[in-house]
Amino acid sequence: MRVEFRPPNWTERLLYFAGRRIAFLVEGDSMAPTLKDGDTVLVRPRADINVGDIVLADHPYRSSVTILKRVARIADGRVTLAGDNEAASTDSRTFGPVSIKSIIGRVECRLN
Amino acid sequence: MLGKLNNNTATGLRIAEAHCDAPCGVYDPASARIAAEAVLSLTKKILDLKAPEGGDPKAAASFHNTMARYILIKEEQAQLAKEQLLVLWTDYFKPAHLEKYPNLHDTFWKAAKLCSSVKVEVSLEHATELMDAVKEIHGVFWATKDRDVAWYTAS
Repeated sequence: MRVEFRPPNWTERLLYFAGRRIAFLVEGDSMAPTLKDGDTVLVRPRADINVGDIVLADHPYRSSVTILKRVARIADGRVTLAGDNEAASTDSRTFGPVSIKSIIGRVECRLN
Repeated sequence: MLGKLNNNTATGLRIAEAHCDAPCGVYDPASARIAAEAVLSLTKKILDLKAPEGGDPKAAASFHNTMARYILIKEEQAQLAKEQLLVLWTDYFKPAHLEKYPNLHDTFWKAAKLCSSVKVEVSLEHATELMDAVKEIHGVFWATKDRDVAWYTAS
């Protein structure tokens, strides 16, 4: 499942200015070609997540790092995360499924 | 939850990492060999250290101090040898290597178990077996890199 990210519509822009969306700068190419290094995305905090969504999550071992990955599976309160670009991604293949509590939010759209 | 996030200094935006953690890619069984060799050496020293005769408290203290240091370092080095072997096993070796060397898992498993044995025991036999296991891993490791690196020891 691929999510095409278009520039945000007015609702998203409004929600961003209202503080309901957080802008993040994408670093790295693990989500290429969907999202590339240098892209800016709007994240909706505490959104419900489904398989196929791109989410922002706390890194399981590095507390100051947040990671951007796609949800591959949700089971028993744990989420399996996978980069779209397998060759350039450290994800649940390495660190296993993460707790659903470590999911910060869902990527809604790309700003640039 | 959101307060501790990194910011990008140029844009002021928070950063979402979409990376691959970068391993340094530098592997060499030599680090395990040095630790295993230290275990063998300390095992010999422990077996050779004689308890002082007579009731001299200074000699007794010195004996216990030396013995305690030998034991401490032997355990540390046995643990280090195990860690270095596990890094090679889990990080360096890939499924393709396993096809070519079907005994690989068994070799590492036994070597790791020997690290546990030599940590707990004072066994010259197991310490020597650990050196043999590291030598075998040295051979497989360099063969996967198509390099002919001769086995050597420091002592």
